[in-house]
Amino acid sequence: MTTTNNPPQPTQYNFKVVLLGEGCVGKTSIVLRYVEDKFNPQHISTLQASFLTKKVNLDNGNKVQLNIWDTAGQERFHALGPIYYRGSHGAILVYDITDQDSFQKVKNWVKELKRMLGSEIILTIAGNKIDLEEQRTVQEDDAVAYAESVGAHYFETSAKTNENIDELFMELTRLMVQHAQQNNQKQRASAQQQFGQRRLIVEDSQDGMDDGMSSQVPDGSRSCCG
Amino acid sequence: MSNTKVQLRMPQQDLKCRNGCGFYGYYQFEGLCSKCFRERNEQRKKLDQVRTASPTSSVTGGQRHDGISVSPRHQPKSTSSGHQKKSETPVENISNTMTKKKSLVPSLVKSLTLQPSSQSSKKHSRQQQQRSHHHKDYVPDPTEAQFILKLRQLRIPDDGRAKLKNEIQHLDYEIRSYLQGNNTKNIDELSELVQNAYSKFSDLVHNDESFQIATNEDREMTIDFFEKVVMTRNHKFLFSPYFTSDEENDVKIQKRIRQLSWITAKHLACCIDEVNAESRELVYNAITELVGIDSFYSPQEKLECTVRCCRHIFELLKHSVGGPASADEFLPALIFVVLKANPVRLHSNINFVTRFTNASRLMSGEGGYYFTNLCCAISFIENLTAQSLSMDQEEFDMLMSGSKPYSTPWESALMACESLHLISENMKRMEMLNTRNQNISKGIAQFNEDLKEFQLEITNKVEAVLAKAPLTILDIKTPEFLIPKARAHLERDQEQLQQIARVLGGHYQYNLISAMDNSNKLSTTSTSRDKHLNSKVLPLPLTPQRVETSSSPKKGISTDDSLLQTSTQSHYLSATDNENIAKMPGRLSPLPPTAGANPTNVDLLFASPIFNYTPFDEQHIRMHDETNDSTDDLLLTAEFRGGLTNINYDFDLSDHSNDNSTTEDVKMNLAEFDPLAETTGLTASSFVSDRPTCLASTPRFPVEFPLDGPNDQQQRIKHEISINLADPPSLLDDSPANESRLPSPLKPMVTDYRGFSSFEIPSISCNTGDFSSLNHSVSNTDADSSTSMDNKPK
Repeated sequence: MTTTNNPPQPTQYNFKVVLLGEGCVGKTSIVLRYVEDKFNPQHISTLQASFLTKKVNLDNGNKVQLNIWDTAGQERFHALGPIYYRGSHGAILVYDITDQDSFQKVKNWVKELKRMLGSEIILTIAGNKIDLEEQRTVQEDDAVAYAESVGAHYFETSAKTNENIDELFMELTRLMVQHAQQNNQKQRASAQQQFGQRRLIVEDSQDGMDDGMSSQVPDGSRSCCG
Repeated sequence: MSNTKVQLRMPQQDLKCRNGCGFYGYYQFEGLCSKCFRERNEQRKKLDQVRTASPTSSVTGGQRHDGISVSPRHQPKSTSSGHQKKSETPVENISNTMTKKKSLVPSLVKSLTLQPSSQSSKKHSRQQQQRSHHHKDYVPDPTEAQFILKLRQLRIPDDGRAKLKNEIQHLDYEIRSYLQGNNTKNIDELSELVQNAYSKFSDLVHNDESFQIATNEDREMTIDFFEKVVMTRNHKFLFSPYFTSDEENDVKIQKRIRQLSWITAKHLACCIDEVNAESRELVYNAITELVGIDSFYSPQEKLECTVRCCRHIFELLKHSVGGPASADEFLPALIFVVLKANPVRLHSNINFVTRFTNASRLMSGEGGYYFTNLCCAISFIENLTAQSLSMDQEEFDMLMSGSKPYSTPWESALMACESLHLISENMKRMEMLNTRNQNISKGIAQFNEDLKEFQLEITNKVEAVLAKAPLTILDIKTPEFLIPKARAHLERDQEQLQQIARVLGGHYQYNLISAMDNSNKLSTTSTSRDKHLNSKVLPLPLTPQRVETSSSPKKGISTDDSLLQTSTQSHYLSATDNENIAKMPGRLSPLPPTAGANPTNVDLLFASPIFNYTPFDEQHIRMHDETNDSTDDLLLTAEFRGGLTNINYDFDLSDHSNDNSTTEDVKMNLAEFDPLAETTGLTASSFVSDRPTCLASTPRFPVEFPLDGPNDQQQRIKHEISINLADPPSLLDDSPANESRLPSPLKPMVTDYRGFSSFEIPSISCNTGDFSSLNHSVSNTDADSSTSMDNKPK
C-alpha cells in the first residue's frame, strides 16, 4: 500500500499475506522456515512468530515486502477471520496432510474468502507435513483437484525438511505482483473515466502503477471492527 | 433536556419521535427522528450565529468556535466524562454520553445533568480545559510548541515545510467545516475525507519538486508529521464524535468486560502462567500500556502503545511457550489482557484509529497487525459465548449474571503468589544470614586458633630470644671509696639509718630488707671475703664469689662469670642466669647482675621483670665486653642504668596503683631526678661531688651515709639488721662494693626513665602470659614498696 514510487523504475510493493488454517497444521512453522530458515522454535531469535516481514527482490528489479500475518487457528476464533484477512493481497491456506479435518477447514476458508473478497485475493493452498508421508490421509490428487477448482495454487510442503516453502512464497509473490499490476491498470482506467478529483493519484500511478491498491485498502479497513 | 434524558436513558427504542412525525425517535437525537433533529439543529445554529459575532473565517476557527464560544464552560467538562466511565454507574454513563454529544449542539448547553459528572476528575477536566484553551486562542500551548519544534526538525526544504503547513491548515479547515456544516454528518464520510487528504498529501510529498531533495525517510516522516498534527489538533472533534455510537459502544464493552471478569487464562486456553511473579509483572505492563492508549491523541501514538502492549505479551508468552509465540498463543493472551485491563473508551479509541490513521499503517507493519489483533480481541469479547469458552451454557449464564460467584483464581493466585514470593524472599534472606553467620563463627574459630598459634609463636620466640640472648645478672658495684664510709656511718649511726629506712621507705627500704636476708647468708659464708673485697678497689673480679654466696644456682653463675672473663661461653652462662632469675619472683628484669653486686639485691631492685629485654640484650653483651674491659666508670654507668630503670619503673607502677595519680605526676617526680641521671656517667670522684644533688632529690640518705666503716662493724650491723628488718646495713652486707652504690640507684632512675620513654618498650609485657605469675608477684612487691614509697618523698 505505502508504495513509495521512486522516480527510478523498480517498484516497491508491499503485500499483506495472511496465513489461515486450523491450529497445529504448521502455519507458524512454515513462516518461520521461510523467514528465518529455522524449524526448531528453540533456535529462533525473534520474540514473536505471528507477524513477520520478508523482503524479496524479484528478477525484474521490483522489490516486494511481504507482511506475513499469522492468525489464530482455533475454532473459537474462526469468526475473527474477516478482521484478519481484510485488505490482504494473498492468503496461504495451510492444512495438515495427515489430518482430513484440516483440509475440510481449508475448504471452508476458501469459500469464505471467495465470498468476502472475491478475486481480490490470491489463494495458495499448502499441504504441510509431507515429511509424515506415511501418515497421509489427504491424497495429493484430491488436493490438487480441489485447488484447481477454486483457482488456487497448490503446494505440498514440509517446514521441517524445508520442502517447497520458498517455492510457495515465490509463486505467491509472483502472482500478487501480477495481480497488482493488472489491478493498477484497471484502476487507472476507471479513475481516468470517473474522478476528476483523482487526477493527482492517477498521475502518481502512472509511474507507480500500484495506486489502485491504496484506494482499495481504505474501503476494506473501514468496513469492520466497529 | 433533563426530562428527555430520563426517557432516553431507558433502553426503549420504541419511542416515537417527539415531534410526532410518526418515525421512531432516537435518543441520540434527543428523542427526535433524524429528520426533525436535523431541522431543529439548523434552526439553532442560525440563532447562534446571530447571537455571536463569530470569527469563523479563520482556518482553525470553524466548528470549534461554535462548540466553545457558546458553551465554553461545559465543553471540557463534558469531554472529561468519558474518562470517568469506569467508576460511574451505567446510567450515569449514558447520561454522560448524552451530554457530551449535546454539548456540541449549541442550544442544549444549560442541562443540569452535566453538573454531577463535571465535578469528577478535575485533572482530566483541567487537561481538557487546556486543550480547549489552546483551540480558543492562538497562543501556542505545549503541544503546539512541540509541533513547531518538530516541524523545524524535519529535514525538508523550507518551501516543503511551508506546503506542509498549508496542507495541515487546509485539512484542519476541511474537518472543521465538515463538522460545522449543516449536512447530516457521517463518520465514514469524514473518514474518507481525511484518508483522501492523507493520500493527497502523500502524493504531494512524493512528487512535488519542493520535496525532491528529501530522502524517502524524510518524506515518510513528513507524512507522519502531517497526520499527527492534524489528528492531535482535531482529536477533540474526531474522537468519538456525537453523531456516532462510539460512546454507547464504549459503555457496552465496558459492561461486558466487567461481566466477564471471572474469565481466567484457563478459560481462554491461553498459556499465561498466572501464578508466576515474572509473568504477572509482564501482564501488568501490558495492561498499563493498553490502558494508556486512551491517553494519546494521535493515532500513531495509540498504535505505538498497542505495539508496546503486545510486545509485553509476547515476552510473557516466550516464558511459557519456550519459543516465539504464534498467533495461536498470542490472541488468547491478548484477549485475556484486554479482559483484565478493561480499558476506557475502548471502542472510541479503536474507531478513532481505524478511521483516521493513514490506512496503509493498518494494513502493513507491526502496528497494523497488533491493532488488528486488538480488534479481533474486542470482537471476540463482544461475541463471546459459552461455546467459545467451551463451557456449559447454563454455567456461563450464571456466571454472566453474577448469580454464581466464580472464585477468581487470578486474584487468589496473585495473593498466594505475593505471600509465597515473600516467603521465598525471606527464605533466601535467612539462608544468606545463615551462611554469613557460619562464616563469622568459622572466622572466630580460625581467629582463636591463630591467636593460640600466635601466642605459642611469641612464647617460642621469646624463649628462643631469651636462649639466644640470656640474662647475665651482674652484681652492682659500689665505688670502693664509699664502702668504708658507709660502714663507718652504719656503725656510728645505726639509729639514724633505721630512721632513714623508715622515712624513705620504698625501694630503698625493700632493698635493705632483702639485703639483710642475704647478708645473713653471706655472713655465714663469706665474711672474710667481703673484707677482702672491701679492701680491693674494683669489685669486678670478686663477682664470682658474690654469686656463690647468694644462692646455690648462683654458683653456676659465678663460675660462668669467671668463664666470661675468658669470654668463651657467654651464651651458655647467660642462659643459666636466666633460669636462675626466672625462679626468683620479680627478677626477670633484664639487667645483668653486675660484678661485685649481690645478685639477690639487684633482683629486688628490679621489680618489673619484662621490660627492655631486647635492648637489654645489647646492653648485656656490651656489658660483658665492658666487664672484660673492666673499667669502673663504664661498668658503673651500665649497671646503674639497668638497675635503675627497673627501679624507676617500679615506682611508677606503685604510684599508679595506690594514688591513681596521672602519669604526668610520675613524670614530674622523675623529672626531678633528671640532673642526677646525667651524673651517672661521671666517675667516682664526680659522684661524690654530686651527692648534694642527690640529697636534694632523695632526702638525707646519701648525706647520712657513713663514709668509712670497718668490715667487722659492717658484719655486726648486718646481724643487727637481720633483727630490724628495715635497716641500711643490708646494703653493706650485700657487698662492700654495693654499699658505695646505694646513692647511685636513685640517679640512674632518671636516666633510665628517659631512656625508657624514648624506647617505648614496655607495651609487650603483659600479653605474653608466661610472666603473668611473675608479674603478679612483682606487682605485689611493688605495692609493698609503693606503700613505703608514699612515705618517702614527704
